[in-house]
Amino acid sequence: MQRRMTLWAWLGIAVAVVWTLLPIYWFLKMSLLTPDEIARFPPPLVPLDPTPAAYFNIFGFDYQVTPELVRRASGQAGQIINGLINSLIVSIVVTAITMLVVVPLAYVFARLDFRFKQALLITILLSVALPPVSTLIPFYALYVQLGLAGTLFGLIVVTLTITIPFVTWMLIGYLRNLPPVERLARVDGYSRLETLVFIVIPLARSGIAVAAVIAFLFAWNEYTYALVLVNGTPANTLATALSGFLFQHPEPSHLAAALVVSILPPVLVAYFLQRHIAEMNLVDPIR
Amino acid sequence: MAGIRLDHLKKSFGAFTAVQDLDLDVTDGEFLVLLGPSGCGKTTTLNCIAGLETPSAGRILFDGRDVTSDPPHSRNIAMVFQSALLYPHMTAAANIEASLRRSDLAPEERRRRIDDAVSMLEIGDLLDKLPSEMSGGQRQRVATAKAIVRQPTAFLLDEPLSALDAALRMTLRAEIVNLQKRLGSTTVFVTHDQVEAMTMGDRIAVMNGGRLEQIGTPSEIYERPRSLFVAGFVGSPPMNLIRGEVADGVFAAGELRVPLAAAPGPVTLGVRPQHLHVRAEGGLPCAIFALERLGRETVLIVEDRARNRLRLLVEAEFEGRVGDPLDVAPDPARCLLFDDASGLIHAPAN
Repeated sequence: MQRRMTLWAWLGIAVAVVWTLLPIYWFLKMSLLTPDEIARFPPPLVPLDPTPAAYFNIFGFDYQVTPELVRRASGQAGQIINGLINSLIVSIVVTAITMLVVVPLAYVFARLDFRFKQALLITILLSVALPPVSTLIPFYALYVQLGLAGTLFGLIVVTLTITIPFVTWMLIGYLRNLPPVERLARVDGYSRLETLVFIVIPLARSGIAVAAVIAFLFAWNEYTYALVLVNGTPANTLATALSGFLFQHPEPSHLAAALVVSILPPVLVAYFLQRHIAEMNLVDPIR
Repeated sequence: MAGIRLDHLKKSFGAFTAVQDLDLDVTDGEFLVLLGPSGCGKTTTLNCIAGLETPSAGRILFDGRDVTSDPPHSRNIAMVFQSALLYPHMTAAANIEASLRRSDLAPEERRRRIDDAVSMLEIGDLLDKLPSEMSGGQRQRVATAKAIVRQPTAFLLDEPLSALDAALRMTLRAEIVNLQKRLGSTTVFVTHDQVEAMTMGDRIAVMNGGRLEQIGTPSEIYERPRSLFVAGFVGSPPMNLIRGEVADGVFAAGELRVPLAAAPGPVTLGVRPQHLHVRAEGGLPCAIFALERLGRETVLIVEDRARNRLRLLVEAEFEGRVGDPLDVAPDPARCLLFDDASGLIHAPAN
């Protein structure tokens, strides 16, 4: 029997939706306004005369609004483009390496028994509990000596130290709840590796897809390490590049447009994997 | 097809011994049921036969050949798991075919075997379905087809019916036995359900605490249980077990007196509900506690003055109300005596 949604449930959902979408709407709207409209008080709730000028400007193009009025390309366009490329490289590489490491790792912890399993698991998961700030200075000192500060490679390595433990922890819970197909696979003559590749991974594709989204989002949103390790270098990412604008008095619509651009990749990733996200039942990862 | 022999099989997990010193012979073409409560070692035993667990000690022989260290697929066994486990992301057809992936059959032979299994189990219309789209009974049939295409040395079934509803369980019970007899395949079937064991097995091996309590045909197990454990575990409604003492050729427990030729000492008397009768007088004075009408017969539960409960099987038309007084007496010829210390059956009590 399908239960009717109560008024309270609707109200709760409405609050959650407004809470989530209002800020996004606000700068989406702002990115389409003219400088005059932004300066107006009270600010307009909807863009009366929306113009995509800001989106051209932040990528380094002038935009002809009317024959007399041209909105000039943003001075930060180079940084935005560079940050966007760097962020994409870091996020894609981090996601790929994370999944390559985490799928077998989580599988072993979730489904096999071996000596010192609990101690090893705790060692891996401990790093989830460490706030990035606590390892920031050691990493920085180390990176300066190794010549890794200000490099994409260095940033990828440090981001992996966050994504691998966290995604492992997440995926262990998912894999634990799969039916005991390994015994069936052994009777059918699958080796352990074949079981993982041909049985477990296809079976767990939803969980693995969601884990990949999480890894991507972590890498994309990573800010603390990027701020210290790569900010102000050619390896700067979009997140730190954007935060830098706050001190440079940019055109507000440019900042807003750049923010919209920065949330696009995660939105796309989530959109294409939404079927898996809905399917995945995130049960208590640590029993 | 082959006989299976377990020779001093032992399996421990760390400090816990799941199976100890198990000797068991499954003859060619036999349907053997491993019966016992959960944790008795029956599934571990089956997993050892399958090769999913490596024994800590002892040997496993298929037709005299030592297979103890062979991996599962080279033993040529087929296994049906609890709740008829299938690969959830594969269709029925792919599940069945996976059984043959390590065999070097010619493609047409492969095809023929699959077709045979499919028609034998009447699952032609399920082949393109995923396990999640099938009912419990359909999954069971597909799992069975997956098992038989391999034409295995032995079928190993691990509580395959436990997750199904009662009516379906009954249907499939008969289907599995029928199929096993038609194929003549050596089969080991694990269950904790004594009705399943009694109805399906050629022989039953009752296990408890990692040990074999008794092995025999269903009627041997039922009529001559070797231990108190077997007596209490097999039979529905369960056997009445009454603790008492034998002195001067009479068993005495509270107000109950049964003339029995047995050595004096503390014992437990076991009597099946159908061998306990209602008497007008001269028996153990009881009062009716409950009546369970099963249609063909009625289970009468009575309570004596010391509040011990006994079960009797009486005719369906039995008239009585809760609280009615009556006397009950066991048939001395059908009473079994078990030693209190060892739990083993005493000398024949007749």
